[in-house]
Amino acid sequence: MALPLYYNWRNLQRRKLSTTLTFIVVTVVVVVLCVLLSFTAGIRASLAATGTNLNLIVLKPGATAESTSVLVPDEIGRLVQTPGIALGSDGSPLMSRELCVQTTVPRRLSARDKEPAPANVAIRGVDPIAFDLHREVRIIDGRSFQSGTMEIVVGKAAHDRYEHTNIGDEIVLGRMENRIYKVVGVFDAGGATFESELWAPRTSISDSYLRRFDSSVVMRLQSVAATKAAVEFINGPTVQLEAKPEPQYYEDLSKKTQDIVVLSTILVSIMAMGAIFAVANTMFATVDGRRREIAMLRTIGFGKWAILVSFVVESLLICVSACSVGLVLSLLAGGVKQDFLSDTTWTVLAFEMKITPGILVAAFMLSVIVGVFGAITPALRASRMRIIDALRKA
Amino acid sequence: MPESEIELRDVRKVYYKDRIDIPVLEGLNLSVPAGEFAVLMGPSGSGKSTLLHLIGGLDSPTSGSIRVADSNLEQMNERELTAWRSRNVGFIFQMYHLVPVLTAAQNVELPLLLFRMPSSERRKRVATALGVVGLGDRMDHRPNQLSGGQEQRVAIARAIVTDPRMILADEPTGDLDAKTSEEILNLLNTLNTEFGKTILMVTHDPRAASHGQRLLHLDKGVLERDERTPARAPAAVS
Ligand SMILES: Nc1ncnc2c1ncn2[C@@H]1O[C@H](COP(=O)(O)OP(=O)(O)OP(=O)(O)O)[C@@H](O)[C@H]1O
Ligand SMILES: [Mg+2]
Repeated sequence: MALPLYYNWRNLQRRKLSTTLTFIVVTVVVVVLCVLLSFTAGIRASLAATGTNLNLIVLKPGATAESTSVLVPDEIGRLVQTPGIALGSDGSPLMSRELCVQTTVPRRLSARDKEPAPANVAIRGVDPIAFDLHREVRIIDGRSFQSGTMEIVVGKAAHDRYEHTNIGDEIVLGRMENRIYKVVGVFDAGGATFESELWAPRTSISDSYLRRFDSSVVMRLQSVAATKAAVEFINGPTVQLEAKPEPQYYEDLSKKTQDIVVLSTILVSIMAMGAIFAVANTMFATVDGRRREIAMLRTIGFGKWAILVSFVVESLLICVSACSVGLVLSLLAGGVKQDFLSDTTWTVLAFEMKITPGILVAAFMLSVIVGVFGAITPALRASRMRIIDALRKA
Repeated sequence: MPESEIELRDVRKVYYKDRIDIPVLEGLNLSVPAGEFAVLMGPSGSGKSTLLHLIGGLDSPTSGSIRVADSNLEQMNERELTAWRSRNVGFIFQMYHLVPVLTAAQNVELPLLLFRMPSSERRKRVATALGVVGLGDRMDHRPNQLSGGQEQRVAIARAIVTDPRMILADEPTGDLDAKTSEEILNLLNTLNTEFGKTILMVTHDPRAASHGQRLLHLDKGVLERDERTPARAPAAVS
């Protein structure tokens, strides 16, 4: 038979300070876990949503990302010969020359900050054909830009986050920061990383930034089966560039992100260990302070098992309630939009804090593990105590 | 002769500590009939508490046999002893050992939680037990809101709430003044005469000893003297 819950509950109130401290430690661990998991889920979702295996992205060999790749017109000309390349309705090859530059844009003011913090944002110069290759990109408000004009469309995530991205707003770009672009539309990209970008006519961007080259070429293949031959042709002696299917490119791009995830996992594990020790410490103090009480309970007929369970339950009361508070805090922070600086491209990927059922379960499990592992040694000590010894000593 | 409620035969108890044997009880024989109020006295360290713990099934003898409330304790394992204690013995300690965070009623209710019974039944029994010790109006008080004498009354209520056959008390008045001690001892007398409980009480106080019907003297591990106290007669056993 078990001891009643109110017995544990009252005892927790008896030692307010150590209970509170332990509570805070577990809450912090839960919040960190939630942030980490929702962050990982966000990055994964956004990278998974980007790209199709029908598209090859072509870069300069050795370039780690579009931002560090330089393709000259000569090289691009040779790409037209790629076997298996898809043709558009007008019979020309489906190939999108893209030029990536970046600029700083002030973030939208949130309730918390007083001054708008600037963010590095990627600008992609594209020709209209780009929309035939990146079919996930759809204008959801306003219209697309017109070729050769100083018009710009903004990704949905960028629109949510940065100033001067409403339709009709003006954004100053260019190497000399003297070219004024007008926002004419907002686009959705099905959650892809493009949503964090600004897109403008390639020729205009090339002009504004005095760039006589492109960053990358995206080409459409007739079928996925054509990938191998196409990649071999492009990587081979004829073209001497580097081609990858889009999903693979974005996956490689996320390798750095993976490192951060691994590091954070280690961090959370260490924090959880710390929490276990904090719980154990509190519970040891409790057990020592209640030796006679334990002896009395054993004397009147409570078994070892009842004592063991009671202390584990007491620890779980702290940990699970701390978990609930941590989850509520995380839920309140839900929808908070956090930018993540991709350190490969030095531009930001926007991600949103979101507590999914999976994260709820993970947080709950973590708090239960911390509670049980923290309590088990002190609880064992309590249950194994010899009654007559505990009755004697003060 | 009423049958023995407590029967010890040739009980030896040797503690083993820091590689030395500490013999405490050496071949002790004792028989306490049901319904008797026996008092155990003796110098400090003579083994009074040890004897009480053996009789209460809190510890096992090194050798010898202990038969209490129709059970052979030396043959029972720890689980069986735990269950046996909850059904047959009520313990009263010098330091009361109440749970400070629980109310008087909740403290008294603790032993009942080991039994399957509806909570209304539990409440009724708690009220009865607290009524017997004269604290019916202090149900919701915490131990720190009670005097020492009242705390010991709550502890007595806790000891009798399961209606055990026997009460084992280790210096129950050791921490109380003379007047309060007298009240507690009268209460024990009531439990003995009106409720027929067999009582074994350890005490250092000769006046407390006079409340029992029988006085046992323990010294150096053996019972030195065993005498009847004149004034009181044993309770009638139904
Ligand atoms: N758990 C134990 N381990 C080792 N020695 C013990 C233990 N319990 C009791 N003793 C020893 O046994 C002897 C008897 O102790 P016990 O507590 O039974 O005496 P007592 O008659 O109750 O004394 P007091 O009147 O002071 O309460 C003492 O010498 C004590 O040191
Ligand atoms: Mg003693």
